[in-house]
Amino acid sequence: MLFTRRLMLGLAMAGSMASALAFPAIAGEGPTEIDLFFPVPVDGKLARDMGTLIKEFNETHPNVKATAVYTGSYDDTLIKTRAAIKAGKPPAAVIMSANFLLDMQIENELTNLDSLIKADGTTKEQFLGQFFPALQGNAVIDRSVYGVPFHNSTPLLYINADKAKEAGLDPNKPPQTWAELTDWAKKLTKREGDKVTQWGIAIPCAYDYCGWMMETLTMSNGGRYYNEEFGGEVYYDTPSMLGALTWWNDLIAKHKVHPPGATPGPAVSTSFISGNAAMIMLSTGSLTYVRDNAKFAYKVAFIPRNVRNAVPIGGASLIIPAGLEAEKQKAAWTLIKWMTSPEKSGWWSRATGYFAPNMAAYKTPDMVEFLNKNPDAKTAVEQLDVAKPWFATYKTVPVRKNLEDEVMLVLNGKKQPKEALVAAQKAADETLKPYNAETSLKLP
Amino acid sequence: MTLFDRLFRDAPLATRNEITPKLGFALTMLLALVWLIPFLWMGVATLRPASDGINLMAELMPSLKPTLDNIRDAWEIGDFPRYTLNTTIICTGILLVQFFTITLAGFAFARLNFAGKTLIFYLFLMQLMLVPVLLIVPNLTLVAQLGLYDTLTGVMMPFFASAFGTFLMRQAFEAIPTELEDAALIDGAGLFQRIRHIYVPLSMPSFSAFAIISVTSHWNDFLWPLMVINSPDKRPLTVGLSVFTATAEGTQAWGTIAAGTLMVIAPLLITFLIFQKRFISSFVTSGIK
Repeated sequence: MLFTRRLMLGLAMAGSMASALAFPAIAGEGPTEIDLFFPVPVDGKLARDMGTLIKEFNETHPNVKATAVYTGSYDDTLIKTRAAIKAGKPPAAVIMSANFLLDMQIENELTNLDSLIKADGTTKEQFLGQFFPALQGNAVIDRSVYGVPFHNSTPLLYINADKAKEAGLDPNKPPQTWAELTDWAKKLTKREGDKVTQWGIAIPCAYDYCGWMMETLTMSNGGRYYNEEFGGEVYYDTPSMLGALTWWNDLIAKHKVHPPGATPGPAVSTSFISGNAAMIMLSTGSLTYVRDNAKFAYKVAFIPRNVRNAVPIGGASLIIPAGLEAEKQKAAWTLIKWMTSPEKSGWWSRATGYFAPNMAAYKTPDMVEFLNKNPDAKTAVEQLDVAKPWFATYKTVPVRKNLEDEVMLVLNGKKQPKEALVAAQKAADETLKPYNAETSLKLP
Repeated sequence: MTLFDRLFRDAPLATRNEITPKLGFALTMLLALVWLIPFLWMGVATLRPASDGINLMAELMPSLKPTLDNIRDAWEIGDFPRYTLNTTIICTGILLVQFFTITLAGFAFARLNFAGKTLIFYLFLMQLMLVPVLLIVPNLTLVAQLGLYDTLTGVMMPFFASAFGTFLMRQAFEAIPTELEDAALIDGAGLFQRIRHIYVPLSMPSFSAFAIISVTSHWNDFLWPLMVINSPDKRPLTVGLSVFTATAEGTQAWGTIAAGTLMVIAPLLITFLIFQKRFISSFVTSGIK
């Protein structure tokens, strides 16, 4: 963006005249026009599915005209939403990664939904009661509702059942502990001399995914990686995190059953589909893709534990940004309630592989029939009993990257786990400093 | 006559029998091959039927049963003619205004004398050091205040002036002998006539070099158009393409992505193939290599 202010001001005149024709019409009479920002966390087919969903909404709600606006990855969506709010053009609703809500609430960028819930004649408890309890942690901040769960996930262990049988393992009794998983991975790794032709296990590590997998491993190692009550503290340099990262690194460096280096999510799922990796840890959001593409029998199982069974939730919630006119706010609320209804969230779940956050979705006839045909879709829902909220702090993305950068160095063989976690903790403390100075360290 | 001999026919006489040019040619061809592989893979992946599965995805060998399904899928997911039109409007719009602004600004810095000229010029150059991402929020706020949010003009506006282009034109204009201008002055040519008939025609190589850099960078820009544009029918190619390439928790349909990518780069690629010689010579004569 190279410009000088003087030239720009001069050109602004010409520009605004030229654009007068392209200027979006201001809604007077007729339906309330609203924008819904949505990221595409899955492949392009879903962009079309989203179009179908919004079209149906507009047909059944003549008073509202919603437009689905594609906004890139989860991280890009946050950038675009923030920029739009600052520029005074907030969208009416956004499908926002569930762990960004706290950060946005701290920055006063979210609408508190309590009054909208109250205006409908329901209580907060009734409203939240529709959703799985594990999802409420990321939707409720200081006892107020700020987000409505829309599509959610948990990590799962995917197993190539054919390869397991081949190696003399019973795919109906998947590994339940890290020790068993390591043992399985050793048996499932095939070598020709020094060259590995089949990896026992692969775990993705790319921005966003890497932090989520680290959280998964730490939690199953008994840990708690951030302060769920307060946005200013993360626990990177802890025994549970050190054990988790050391085990992950051991799979690569010691046991040589995991491909070396930080592998992105799509590469991990591709290597599972191609038979190059016999087991993978991946989101339930990838389930539909695996189901459609696997040419072999596969199983999905809980993430094995070292200390306890526990996983973080993932996925996205619907939010209403701050600074919206009342009329648009009301229209957005109608859209959000419609999208999270049992029928619609069930439909979206079947299309994507994410689970439906609304518990009643699992009682709809379509869903019952679907689960009978695809019992693998049940695993993630069952795992919700041990699921906990997703990492959320002040400046979530930078704090997450503080950890991810160091984990990548370890997986690439450039750093030792302990050294990396000390560095990650230090960097994160630095990132969180301004918030702590304003809150926990601001003494009377 | 072998292929190599034919290639050397054009080499200067004196060097024709030396070993170094041959090595150079061999290295160039090797590099060209390495460069070509992703393109070949993209072509093969585009035509590969989905029934081949992901297993054969990494193979370069074309499938025996090529299919146009992927192209059809990509075509249906994205409104590519519309995206191409939008990108073309953005790139040509920016370029036309830039030609105007960089010519005048370059001329001012090269030939006019005014107070603080050097200081202003350095301030100008300093903009080259700003990371564009840093300016997203202030630029977007300004664009929204001007009523240009969600318009193509809004996408173009921050680029109407270019520090790099101004620098390039200043260098080009300074290289033109002042005697030519003096002659025109004697004939009674005004300021704009001198620019129009002397400076502009003699700086054509620099203009085309700048045009290439400007068009390719705006053709590929993703984040800024993503910020400004909401309406699906105003998306440029990059944003339209990323609808089916961006993933977080899911996975990718490589065939469709390859087909989509091919459609996005095709216009630029074809333009380059047609104007190849001119492109290269403009870079050589404008001193950018």
